[in-house]
Amino acid sequence: MQLEKFTYDNKIVRNFGIATLVWGVIGMTVGLLIAMQLFKPAMNLGSQYTTFGRIRPLHTNAVIFAFVGNAIFMGVYYSLQRLLKARMFSDVLSKIHFWGWQLIIISAVITLPLGFTTSHEYAELEWPIDIAITLIWVVFGVNMFGTIIKRRERHLYVAIWFYIATFVTIAVLHIVNSFELPISFMKSYYVYAGVQDALVQWWYGHNAVAFFLTTPYLGMMYYFLPKMAGRPVYSYKLSILHFWSLIFIYIWAGPHHLLYTSLPGWAQSLGVAFSIMLIAPSWGGMINGLLTLRGAWDKVREDVTLKFMVVALTAYGMATFEGPLLSLKQINGVAHFTDWIVAHVHVGALGWNGFLTFGVLYWLIPRIYKTELYSKKLAGFHFWIGTLGILFYAVPMYWAGFTQGLMWKEFTPEGLLKYPNFLATTLQIIPMHVLRSIGGALYLIGVIAMTYNLAKTMLSAKLVANEPAEAMPLSKIIVDASPADKAWHRVLERKPMKFMVFSLIIILIGGMVEMMPTFTIQSNVPTIASVKPYSALELQGRDLYIREGCVNCHSQTVRPFRSETERYGEYSKAGEFVYDHPFLWGSKRTGPDLHRVGGKYSNAWHFNHLMDPTSMSPGSIMPPYPWLVEQKLDTSTTASKIRAMQTLGVPYDVDYDQQANNDLKIQADKIALDLKQNNIKVKSDREIVAIIAYLQRLGTDIKANKEPIPSNQ
Amino acid sequence: MFNQIKDLAGGEIYLITSLLMFMVFFVIVGIYLIKLNQKHIEVMSALPIEENQTEVYEED
Repeated sequence: MQLEKFTYDNKIVRNFGIATLVWGVIGMTVGLLIAMQLFKPAMNLGSQYTTFGRIRPLHTNAVIFAFVGNAIFMGVYYSLQRLLKARMFSDVLSKIHFWGWQLIIISAVITLPLGFTTSHEYAELEWPIDIAITLIWVVFGVNMFGTIIKRRERHLYVAIWFYIATFVTIAVLHIVNSFELPISFMKSYYVYAGVQDALVQWWYGHNAVAFFLTTPYLGMMYYFLPKMAGRPVYSYKLSILHFWSLIFIYIWAGPHHLLYTSLPGWAQSLGVAFSIMLIAPSWGGMINGLLTLRGAWDKVREDVTLKFMVVALTAYGMATFEGPLLSLKQINGVAHFTDWIVAHVHVGALGWNGFLTFGVLYWLIPRIYKTELYSKKLAGFHFWIGTLGILFYAVPMYWAGFTQGLMWKEFTPEGLLKYPNFLATTLQIIPMHVLRSIGGALYLIGVIAMTYNLAKTMLSAKLVANEPAEAMPLSKIIVDASPADKAWHRVLERKPMKFMVFSLIIILIGGMVEMMPTFTIQSNVPTIASVKPYSALELQGRDLYIREGCVNCHSQTVRPFRSETERYGEYSKAGEFVYDHPFLWGSKRTGPDLHRVGGKYSNAWHFNHLMDPTSMSPGSIMPPYPWLVEQKLDTSTTASKIRAMQTLGVPYDVDYDQQANNDLKIQADKIALDLKQNNIKVKSDREIVAIIAYLQRLGTDIKANKEPIPSNQ
Repeated sequence: MFNQIKDLAGGEIYLITSLLMFMVFFVIVGIYLIKLNQKHIEVMSALPIEENQTEVYEED
């Protein structure tokens, strides 16, 4: 058999690399901007388009899907070609994939500040962009499987299993979490409501971390670390065990994001149990990575790429040890909704994803340009300032999280809340937020230094766009069919499609067992007779609440703790959310929970608070929302929104869509009149009136109910 | 934690079945790993670092 000559496509790798750098700088700069808004609200530049609630999703989407996303594709396109000894299946598909992905990111950069959001965390993009993501993901899949099919290496190395699991699971997660009913070009309602919507979202949210931030990076680690260290992976057996148990267990752990909420208890317990088990496969990966460097630690001292890899693996180990601990109910009760979670996430994001990406970039860019790195000294500077940045970020955030979590729960000897005013707990941690932004700035300086260093490297040489390679072709018939060769895993290593189907089955099991009972067994979401659909004005107000991203700072779920029922009121029941498309429970309390805010303050208080939060709460870090008075409420959408809700099973009267705007006007006039009596002149057709109506409705269905609610509802 | 798992009001079957499925799955992978051919492991783990050397298969 003759050696076949072919070339590797390095241009696509380079393009994804440049995109990683550009979006990394942009995404992290937005992160720094919102971090500063948390101690200086005026940093929102006085514009609705740069206010925290709208651009916090821009930061998360930019760093996850733009920075990490492009880094994944860079790593996959480089390693896949070499592990399979084949050029990518189609240069055209590679280009469509690259430009399609960048267009999706640009559409996010435009639509998120404009307030087009579904409000599902890390899935904020509206339905037309969801469709585009699906199409581009399919292009990526076809290109990857096409390459696998035309490969010249029979067996699929462990890195490729991780890539296949990533492809198939992200596809499932994205589709299931994007079941939305469109009502206009950029607005839709989730098909799921309340508790079910929460379960789907956090099944998605948790597994986006698992299959976008973890599995592709583990695949990259299994390829690039042995390359950098010049020795094979410590234990291939461990990688098989690690891979299958990781993808099997991860998918179950989502409900740990919903502990103490109204999600059925058995689902919460299942989430906790599997989260604790998850520590084993996660550490399996970390140990396998670190032990690959055994006997090569002298190289780590000299080679900056390996330094980045060691910190990345250590951060992965810390984050995956902390994750299971945080899922224990007792710890979660304190940590959830605080900066502790922000610290946890950033140890993973800055340490694991960031540093692994930097290591790969420093290793890969000089190789595809056949040159040396422009400045090793500058790369060393990046390593140290980046590490310092992580410390300055994480330590203050842990401190802030512990402080605030404990302050929320503290009682006086007389049995009263020690800090009944939520704002007191916010003001306490402001210095920590200042320190955190310094940490973020240090990290960003490192990234800018790297961008300069790599740009100089690229400019100093010419890209080897088509790198020559040669390999023996694969023959169709295998003569050697020894019993060992028929072993199931060796068969899977040769059969990519079967491998994909098997991975799909593995990841579907967990999702199905958790979701099916909640969707099919009526008793899991008990209804409450006094809970009624939102009025037309409240529904419009709710959509403004979604547009402004209020959910980024305010939760809407009171947990059954005395410290919470004292502060907020009756704890939240599953039956209260049955008309909430989407649910708005939130995941962070930068401000207080709002589920029982209805009727707590006057309309005038809400008006003044929205116009200038510090007038009602001196020292508040909430930004003012003057545009809500300037902008007229768009009532042309009311009828279609009501019809959409009817389609989703919300029991509005037949033909209510025709009457909805009349009702809306009556309720708005009433609020405007009440404001007028309090010396506030505002037209009833303004957005602020709708948002006040919604806030005043929150949590009042149960307050209105004279009958006691059984504890199981 | 364990009290919550014990009192599931009819939902136990899901928890027990899923835990069982996981155990069975884990044991199968474990047994397979113990029996795995050492030579195959060496070939597989060398894949990324020896990518320019083509493995020769005994085929036509």
